[in-house]
Amino acid sequence: MPEAPAVGEVRAAFLAELGQAASPEQIQEVRNRYLGRKRGAVTALLKSVAQAPPEARRDLGQQANALKREIERALVERSGAVAAAPTPAGRQQPGRSARPGDAAGRSEPVDVTLPGRDVRIGNRHPLTVVREEIEAIFTGLGFEIVEGPEVEDDYHNFEALNMPPEHPARDMQDTLYLESPLRTPAGPPGTLLRTHTSGMQIRYMETHEPPVRIIAPGLVYRRDTPDLTHSPMFQQVEGLLVGENVTMADLKGTLESFLRQLFEPDTRVMFRPSFFPYTEPSAEVFISCVFCRDGCAVCKRTGWLEILGSGMVHPAVLEAVGYDPERLTGWAFGVGIDRIAILKYRVEDIRAFYDNDLRLLEQFPL
Amino acid sequence: MRILVSWLRELVPVEASVEELADALTRHGFEVSAIDPAPSVPDRPAAPADAVLDLEITTNRPDCLSMVGIAREVATIYARPLTGPTLAAAVPGEQPLPVTIEDDARGLCPRYAAAVADVTVAASPGWMAARLEAAGVRPINNIVDVTNYAMLELGHPLHAFDLDRLEGGELRVRLARPAETVRTLDGVERALPAGTLVIADAGHAQAVAGVMGGADSEVTGSTKRVALESAWFDPLSVRRTSKRLALSTDASYRFERGADIEAPVRALLRVQALLRDIGAGTPRGAVVDRYPIPRTAAAVTLRHARIRQVLGVDVEAGFVAATLERLGFDADPLPAGDGGSAWRVTVPAHRVDVGREIDLIEEVARHHGYDRLPATFPAAVQPPAPPSGALARRRLLRRVLTASGCSEAITYGFIEEAAAAPFVDGSDDLVRIANPLAETSAVLRPSLIPGLVDALVYNRRREHHDIRLFEIGHRFTAARGETPGFAVALTGASSPEHWSNSTRWGGQAPPIDVFDVTGIVGRVCDALGVAAVFEAPAAPAPGPLVAGRTAVVRAAAPDTATALTLGYAGQLAPGIAAARGLPAGDEAVYVAELDLDLIARAATDRRRMAAAPLPRYPSIVRDLAVAVDAALPAATVRGTIRSAAPEALRQVRQFDRYAGKGVPQGRVSLAFRLTFRAPDRTLTDTEVEQAMRVILARLTAEHDAQLR
Repeated sequence: MPEAPAVGEVRAAFLAELGQAASPEQIQEVRNRYLGRKRGAVTALLKSVAQAPPEARRDLGQQANALKREIERALVERSGAVAAAPTPAGRQQPGRSARPGDAAGRSEPVDVTLPGRDVRIGNRHPLTVVREEIEAIFTGLGFEIVEGPEVEDDYHNFEALNMPPEHPARDMQDTLYLESPLRTPAGPPGTLLRTHTSGMQIRYMETHEPPVRIIAPGLVYRRDTPDLTHSPMFQQVEGLLVGENVTMADLKGTLESFLRQLFEPDTRVMFRPSFFPYTEPSAEVFISCVFCRDGCAVCKRTGWLEILGSGMVHPAVLEAVGYDPERLTGWAFGVGIDRIAILKYRVEDIRAFYDNDLRLLEQFPL
Repeated sequence: MRILVSWLRELVPVEASVEELADALTRHGFEVSAIDPAPSVPDRPAAPADAVLDLEITTNRPDCLSMVGIAREVATIYARPLTGPTLAAAVPGEQPLPVTIEDDARGLCPRYAAAVADVTVAASPGWMAARLEAAGVRPINNIVDVTNYAMLELGHPLHAFDLDRLEGGELRVRLARPAETVRTLDGVERALPAGTLVIADAGHAQAVAGVMGGADSEVTGSTKRVALESAWFDPLSVRRTSKRLALSTDASYRFERGADIEAPVRALLRVQALLRDIGAGTPRGAVVDRYPIPRTAAAVTLRHARIRQVLGVDVEAGFVAATLERLGFDADPLPAGDGGSAWRVTVPAHRVDVGREIDLIEEVARHHGYDRLPATFPAAVQPPAPPSGALARRRLLRRVLTASGCSEAITYGFIEEAAAAPFVDGSDDLVRIANPLAETSAVLRPSLIPGLVDALVYNRRREHHDIRLFEIGHRFTAARGETPGFAVALTGASSPEHWSNSTRWGGQAPPIDVFDVTGIVGRVCDALGVAAVFEAPAAPAPGPLVAGRTAVVRAAAPDTATALTLGYAGQLAPGIAAARGLPAGDEAVYVAELDLDLIARAATDRRRMAAAPLPRYPSIVRDLAVAVDAALPAATVRGTIRSAAPEALRQVRQFDRYAGKGVPQGRVSLAFRLTFRAPDRTLTDTEVEQAMRVILARLTAEHDAQLR
């Protein structure tokens, strides 16, 4: 249906007048002339729809309404352009200032309790907040932050970490494999999504001489069905320290210091024997429950929360990268960032971190 | 492993309470995940202080998948004697059961022991049934129960065949024949993959070795004679078979972690003693033991000084030796050498996890107690390396993006194929997961935008109107591999609502448009030291974006002659957001995505910049408005102005674009503010007028511009 002549006329006249309007006041006048409830040209056009012949009524109505929206939009845009336009140098802008009291020397009183202008600033993701906090603590302890690929090869993810093919410990980490290998900038093609960032231990030691003092943060993947405490993707920080005279007592001291900085200065830390193929002796590390003093549902009434896995680097791992395990010892640990965030911020469901609900994200410090 | 405490106390006399025991085991590496009440049976009520400890046994300690194994740990912790279960005396004499291990099966079955017994099948006595139930094993009949009972006690899996149902009355250990099948005890007819180790009679496979027995030779109420199997199977072979058949049993769980190769005969003698004790049967003939190459026990040297080197604490030598002896090792002191005292430690067969010195140090550490390790701090021996450029860049990027009002999202690395498809040239470029959890996570993301769009839609559907999200992460395509990038997705109003706007802007802020997204990208690039330019792409627009409302972002790099294409910014094709559930009639979504590796190539290192001296002379400002063809890109006009101007032109800022009354049809008025300044003197009006004339002349000549 072609546009009705009346609609086109009103539009042309409006555009011409709007082009002339150079101040907020003039724009308001144009608004009144076209959209005013009594004498507005568009208002009149809309009223005329009722008098139109029945067969033309629907189209005319739609076109008149579309024009009204178009005019509203144009007015808004023009207002923005006029308001943002700088005052030409050496010339005072006519009429009242757009902002009360902004010109030098003005001093009329204003209601200072009116809301201030919002400065829109985004938020870091809560997992980033935790990750950067961990990075800062270990940077302070002299650790270098290193990163690696998420698509890994079997050697770096498993074999060099003392988990040969078909090792039962591989069951501990259900793995997502790629349908076909993905090329990597250096080294063998990637065949799987890394199940931990421990592969970075190997990558780093392969290319650096000891001593080594690194943390490797990043995303890791497991073939876990999502539930309250499991996500098929999560973030981990792996730590590695290798050198002469590095002991398990050092591991204990370092992790105690880390956990007390991350949680509370009076957090109690407990080490318990465990098993990981790439460390020996291995330890699971617990902190005193952040929710209770004497037992709650979260700590299963034990007063302790499992927080990370750690241990002395297995000599086989050092041998795999050509380090001499007689001269060098080392320790490693791996901590889940999501788990820390859950405990620190009392988030009940790990999946909430990946919904990216702004009502959650906006609660976190900038 | 479920441990009935009263059973444990029979093997090792400890007075400790159930709770104390649970705590001690947990502190020594056997986490007690639950303490359950002991089941009671009619003729034997559970002792009041009894309980079942549910222990988590780590994969390296199959020896502790048994009462004796746990009792050995408890005996070591409490320094008490360990009493093994009663065994039957070995009977010399003829071996009534022909057992053959075929040549190609020898590697997978280095030891096969068996015995024959005459039996009377019945229900087990109540105490035995109760102990099996406490351990989580269902009682079946006295014969099967005895084999299970011995397995729980000693950790060694056993199997009973109905000897009269074995063709030829013999056992053969061999590999499965092509297309061979076996009906296992669970009633399932299973095809045996090539290479599967089976136990067969003269005709057919009667058991999947180390995994499950066969139904055809199952012990039933009418069984009169049984062949008892107690063998040692290769862990890898059992694990493969168990995985291939998707069948995990108490037996396969133990064999694949490593059973005790010295245990088979002992386990058979234990079964014979139990059969006798409960009146279920009597042995016939001697035990058969096919064990052609007996194990040589490993000997490991343990140096006292090495314990200190690893643990950082001195553990008394007497404690080290006593602990290892109690755990079943032989620790013989070696003559003191240069390195101080040491032991030659012989490893018992049940400790399949011990093969080198560090394994012994772990034993010392466990029993010394982790809680007694001091907390020391590693000496810093060299300065830390400076932070990597990539990390610093990402942190800066995050700062600028949050300052631009965008909040950080973290979305899944795997997405639905349909969501990924618009972001690659062909489906061959997608990186697929072989074993995805679901169709919705079947491919690795080729772009960060699909995830951001989903997050944006999620929020739009929850009453959020103004949404600005960004993500920094890796993308995956077959052609380019894994690349780092960042993306933004915006929708809603371009600025926050404020009461002072209510009359001026008709009550609403204008919606976000393409200039919001190019503005953010421009600011980010500037912060990262990249001089980015926005260009209208050669048709067509990058796949998922709207043609005519999309810019490609390009920048020169020192290592290449042609400018790099860093990414794009523009309006997302409405169909894409709609397909992901954006409410109908919603405002447009604007997105941008740039490659961080390419940004790194194009960036100048701002950390090494020198501050420019502040201007010492005033600047002169001139406005210039020209009408040009409406199709001419503004960037071209700005470029002409710059190239025509003298060095004194410091800045060109566009402040208006207008078409309508006073500007001829098909043309547009562009207005620029030009700032001139010289570093060494005050410019004169004449100089600037001259420059403005040259600029205008060039604009007129090159673009048919008219001064307005």
